[in-house]
Amino acid sequence: MADQFKYREDREAYSAARVRALEALLIKKGIITDRSVDTVLDYFETKMGPFNGAKIVARAWVDHAFKERLVADTPAAIAELALPEGMAGAEGEHMRAVANAPGVHNLIICTLCSCYPWPVLGLPPYWYKDPTFRSRAAREPRAVLKEFGLAVPESTEVKVWDSSAQIRWFVVPERPEGTEGLSEAELEALVTPEAMMGVAGAA
Amino acid sequence: MLTRFEQFAVNEMMGKPDTPPRANGTLCFANDWERTAFGVALTLARNGYFEWDDFRDELITQIGTWEAEHPIDRSSWNYYERWLAALEKAVVKSGLLDPAELSAALSASPAEPHAA
Repeated sequence: MADQFKYREDREAYSAARVRALEALLIKKGIITDRSVDTVLDYFETKMGPFNGAKIVARAWVDHAFKERLVADTPAAIAELALPEGMAGAEGEHMRAVANAPGVHNLIICTLCSCYPWPVLGLPPYWYKDPTFRSRAAREPRAVLKEFGLAVPESTEVKVWDSSAQIRWFVVPERPEGTEGLSEAELEALVTPEAMMGVAGAA
Repeated sequence: MLTRFEQFAVNEMMGKPDTPPRANGTLCFANDWERTAFGVALTLARNGYFEWDDFRDELITQIGTWEAEHPIDRSSWNYYERWLAALEKAVVKSGLLDPAELSAALSASPAEPHAA
């Protein structure tokens, strides 16, 4: 066991040293700068990702009028928030929000292509592109949701939204019970990408 | 459609043999060198030093070779080790770095460890 651990540590040190050396050489030659890596990663870490979706959902939970505007005209409502530039442009302009409510549960899928509301949800999980998931979710969403651990009562209607190049859907989950005292920032932490895809609730 | 290169580059990999590790909608880096290796490759492709598809072909080859060499015990798998190997190939194949220049830069690094 100890040897295994040592081996792992040695490999980490080996890779870390090589990356450092390669980066240093590229910087020395003026090919990249010492800011290049952070600049590229900034896009994934602060600009476009599930943290944007969480902000939108948390606002919808605390502001009912915003939620109505969000469902009626998603890009216009998103533009009201101080989110990174590009949210409402490019891919963002095609986004449409659907809100869960008592008696209605929404699920987003994409049967044909790789459409995903990236600026709001970040990178799709492995199973999202799995052909079996895509076809089964369209055919028997209730059974698929149950396998995700989400038992939707028979009395609740399940609506399935198939994203396309034109429209990319995301779900506004219901606000969890007992969260009345939480701040908007605390509410954001309860919103997961899975909840905004409709395969989980917010909790 | 107007799309940022960063988005295009990673989206292309989704559901493919070279799909990067991720959780909760974000990329997963176990430590800083993985993040740096990712960032360097993306920067070089974005700035036109090599084609993203060529880098991906190299990465898929590296993954395939590793899998062929580890048919049973894959406990030592690390995605970004393959990424780094592909990046080292790509900077030479594209003519960006001279092989001797790269070897010299890497010569101060520790020797590759092998499992006992």
